Amino acid sequence: MNSLYRYIVNFVKGLRSLLVGMRTTLRVFFRKKITECYPENRKKLVMFDRFRGELVLLHDSQNHHKCIACGICEVNCPNSTIRLTSEMVTDAAGKKKKVLVDYHYDHGSCLFCHLCVRTCPQGALDFIPTFEHAVFTREKLVHKLNREGSSLAPKPVAENLTV
Amino acid sequence: MLKDKIVAKIPGTRVVENGTIPTFAVAPGDYRALALFLRDDAEMLFDFMACMTGVDRGDALGVVLLLESTTLGHRAYVETMTTDRERPALPTVSDLWETANLNEREVYDYFGIRFSGHPDTRRLFLRNDWVGYPLRKDYNASEATNPARLESDESPDETVSYREDGEKETRSLFDDDEYVVNIGPQHPATHGVLRFRVALEGEIVKKVDVHCGYIHRGIEKMCESLSYQQMLPLADRLDYLAAHQHRHALCLCIEEALQLEVPERVKYIRTIMDELNRLSSHLLFWSTLCMDLGALTAFFYGFRDREKVLDIMEETTGGRLIQHYNVIGGVSADIHPNFTRRIKEFIKYLPPMLKEYDQVFTGNVIARQRMEGIGVLSREDAISFGVTGPSGRASGWACDVRKRRPYGVYDKVDFNEIVYTGGDSFHRYMVRVKEIAESLRILEQLVDNIPAGDFAVKTKPVIKLPEGRYFKSVEGSRGEFGVYIESRGEKTPYRLKFRSTSFPLVSVVPHLARGSKIADLIAIGGTLDYIVPDVDR
Amino acid sequence: MFDFSVITQWIDQLLRGALPDAAATVVECVLIGLALLLGYAVIALALIYVERKVCAWFQCRLGPNRVGPFGLLQSVADMIKMLIKEIIEIKHVDRFLFGLAPYIVIIASVAAFSCLPFAKGLQVLDFNVGIFFLIAVSSIGIVGILLAGWASNNKYSLIGAMRSGAQMISYELSIGLSILTMVVLSGTLQITELVEGQADGWFLFKGHVPALIAFVVYLVAGTAETNRGPFDLPEADSELTAGYHTEYSGMHFGFFYLAEYLNMFIVAGVAATLFLGGWMPLHVPGWESFNEVMDYIPSLFWFLGKVGAMIFVIMWFKWTFPRLRIDQLLRLEWKYLLPINLLNLLLMVIVVVYKLHF
Repeated sequence: MNSLYRYIVNFVKGLRSLLVGMRTTLRVFFRKKITECYPENRKKLVMFDRFRGELVLLHDSQNHHKCIACGICEVNCPNSTIRLTSEMVTDAAGKKKKVLVDYHYDHGSCLFCHLCVRTCPQGALDFIPTFEHAVFTREKLVHKLNREGSSLAPKPVAENLTV
Repeated sequence: MLKDKIVAKIPGTRVVENGTIPTFAVAPGDYRALALFLRDDAEMLFDFMACMTGVDRGDALGVVLLLESTTLGHRAYVETMTTDRERPALPTVSDLWETANLNEREVYDYFGIRFSGHPDTRRLFLRNDWVGYPLRKDYNASEATNPARLESDESPDETVSYREDGEKETRSLFDDDEYVVNIGPQHPATHGVLRFRVALEGEIVKKVDVHCGYIHRGIEKMCESLSYQQMLPLADRLDYLAAHQHRHALCLCIEEALQLEVPERVKYIRTIMDELNRLSSHLLFWSTLCMDLGALTAFFYGFRDREKVLDIMEETTGGRLIQHYNVIGGVSADIHPNFTRRIKEFIKYLPPMLKEYDQVFTGNVIARQRMEGIGVLSREDAISFGVTGPSGRASGWACDVRKRRPYGVYDKVDFNEIVYTGGDSFHRYMVRVKEIAESLRILEQLVDNIPAGDFAVKTKPVIKLPEGRYFKSVEGSRGEFGVYIESRGEKTPYRLKFRSTSFPLVSVVPHLARGSKIADLIAIGGTLDYIVPDVDR
Repeated sequence: MFDFSVITQWIDQLLRGALPDAAATVVECVLIGLALLLGYAVIALALIYVERKVCAWFQCRLGPNRVGPFGLLQSVADMIKMLIKEIIEIKHVDRFLFGLAPYIVIIASVAAFSCLPFAKGLQVLDFNVGIFFLIAVSSIGIVGILLAGWASNNKYSLIGAMRSGAQMISYELSIGLSILTMVVLSGTLQITELVEGQADGWFLFKGHVPALIAFVVYLVAGTAETNRGPFDLPEADSELTAGYHTEYSGMHFGFFYLAEYLNMFIVAGVAATLFLGGWMPLHVPGWESFNEVMDYIPSLFWFLGKVGAMIFVIMWFKWTFPRLRIDQLLRLEWKYLLPINLLNLLLMVIVVVYKLHF
């Protein structure tokens, strides 16, 4: 008798737990949906400003950057993502100076560890929150970060540097 | 007196006391005797092998064990070295601590040390045709020794074991008439590229043979050539669901070696982040377990809510899965102004959702029957296999590092260590579900009390750890995660070992799954909640 | 109430007037076959779309919303993809059986489909043991599934097929017994008469307690019979990747896929016919004006509406519950459903003998 009683109780309890679950899913059925309609919502879609999308060398409106080609970021990068090419230039005063030629950044092998930005003595680098990085070949992920014709900002820096 | 007793028992023992944990170095001949004594003596009772590290000292190859007593609480290193580099051999301890089984295979794989008496001497992570032993210091890492091979690596059906006299014994893994099914490396239920070879009899699992290494990246080897700052991002990539906690452990270990005191604010922020990370990990566990058991709808509920945790973390750290937030001496940026507000909103948001989880899944009669009594792990086995974290606590082992050796501000908050005694899949599941609520409680206590101050202390650009060995562990989302560093005073570590949280969990699967059904294997794997990149490192 | 036999008879007379009898029969067969297949395909596509939407809504998602307005053309696009996809030739399979299996599955389901009474006078097969025939042909599908698993020469497929065999043979019992319960109430095996018998009230109300029990048992067993969640063990995706159809690609896979959805429709259709009056409108004795209003709704809509409601319930099951394990599945059948069913049959006999039904 006891086992029959248990049999029935278990059956009813089990059935009840199933119905409770069904009630909950039905409630969710009529709730507001959470799907993000990308790319329609592209305009409204704002990433958090600290999000690390890709590395940039900051430039101002006069096409000046702050990189002195010291190579600290290159040395610090754990994955050899950054390669600097520089040349020695003698300026008007006759002083020899290292000048940045090519800031090579391989986005595809970047760890986004932030070490380059944190160690840069000039504050010349930053990460920007872009996120649409899909391309068809790996070569397209290799960027030259210094813009065409850009040069080192004269001291003191006249205006704030932006992307 | 611990060391006196050991020296009295094994006279050849060399004792080194450097740092908090003493080292007992013995010759290979005395190694097993010492291990037995340490495990079984009433005043020793080192029943938990926290970590086994292979080391190459240049002139000698050997292993360093980190042992701990779960009853008495003390810890000790045991070290044994052999000078034979051609055919190095050490006695096995895999019969004393179950966790040594896979760990010794790892040491064999990395250093070529054969453990005589070990039942299964096969490579664990690398291909069978790999040339050389990569973590030896004289290993030739050039492309010519191990070119990228394009042919598939056949998994042999045989394994060898070495007797003490060096004789080789061959044993086949499966019988000829066994129905062997390959589960993984590409399989929806293995949560990554893990591979089981399963011998079946109908629906019943007879044997499970674990194959790891499909996502082996050689992180420990890489760390030996990276500076301490550079290796931090690699720690995030071990267990991507506990990225913050793992990096926390590495930072703590380096800070301890440098005797660097971090500001109180940093401790608070790190603790909050650890708990957020745990929340996201446990929510993902819940979702994927539901999916493994066929409740796909529940999967989406969990992910919906996990997204909110990720948002909170992303706003401050700039990363979702891999956060790169801890740095040596602090955190990389101060908390975002919205941080506390968002956490408070989340603390209000989640409990009703947890109730829904219970209605949809926890209480469901099918789910209960799929988990109750399935894959029972006893407390002794949990300790022997080194199964820590929620899975260990489900077996009645109170192994929470947050309680045992508090770090961060865990000693200042009030929270319960969830311990169940059943050890079955359902209790493993319940521990995690309850821990979600506990994490919310911790957050609630901390979020309003973050003290003012700096978010980091200045460190030197080049960090050199003083000579010595350091071990620091934190409670990761799925167990004790430890970092073992051997430093020779250089700017790179001499040997760095991560005590993986998921590795013991995988090693226990064959034990738990034997005799259960295929569907149970999935439930066992789901409730153990291993993360494969953490296994393979 | 509009009687579709007016149309069918008109076509019949037209054909017989123009052609000799034998030729007319052949042409009719071809026409009916075409109509059936067309209906089959359209219903399957609609069901696939509905399932995706319903499943998405249960999961707080939007579901298909890219192809066409509200994603309406999504399943059409998928069908085109499926049709133009290559059927991959696999080494070491039994080519003949491997190719045959999906056809057996689809033929079984089309045959069962043809027994359904869609509306008044709109039914292809109707004879004195109609419901018996329906059970018989729908069970043939299991042969196809077993063959698919066996011929694939894949261990996952074989396990899936074996599970499926055990499952379908067990649940066939429950389906048969719950249908038998209703046959006891109605006293006929002919589908049209079953429907006609519910003109003054659906069997679910007429048979009260035993009919309700039979209804619930039928729904559970029917869900299991179609291999749908929570009974989708044969293709348990987290255990066996895709079970018996792991190795199938292109339209071969498409056949399994279509058959799964159509079987759901058939199960829902039989449930509607046996318990909810088929195409019969809702009539309440005594409420004459209400009954008249109900009669204005075409019988086809009544049938599809009832089937739709049943399908929603079956989907609701699938998207709420976790999957059962094989031993639980068999335990549910042999320890719970079968004894309940047998007792229920007895109860129904008592009800009928003592005229306790309405």
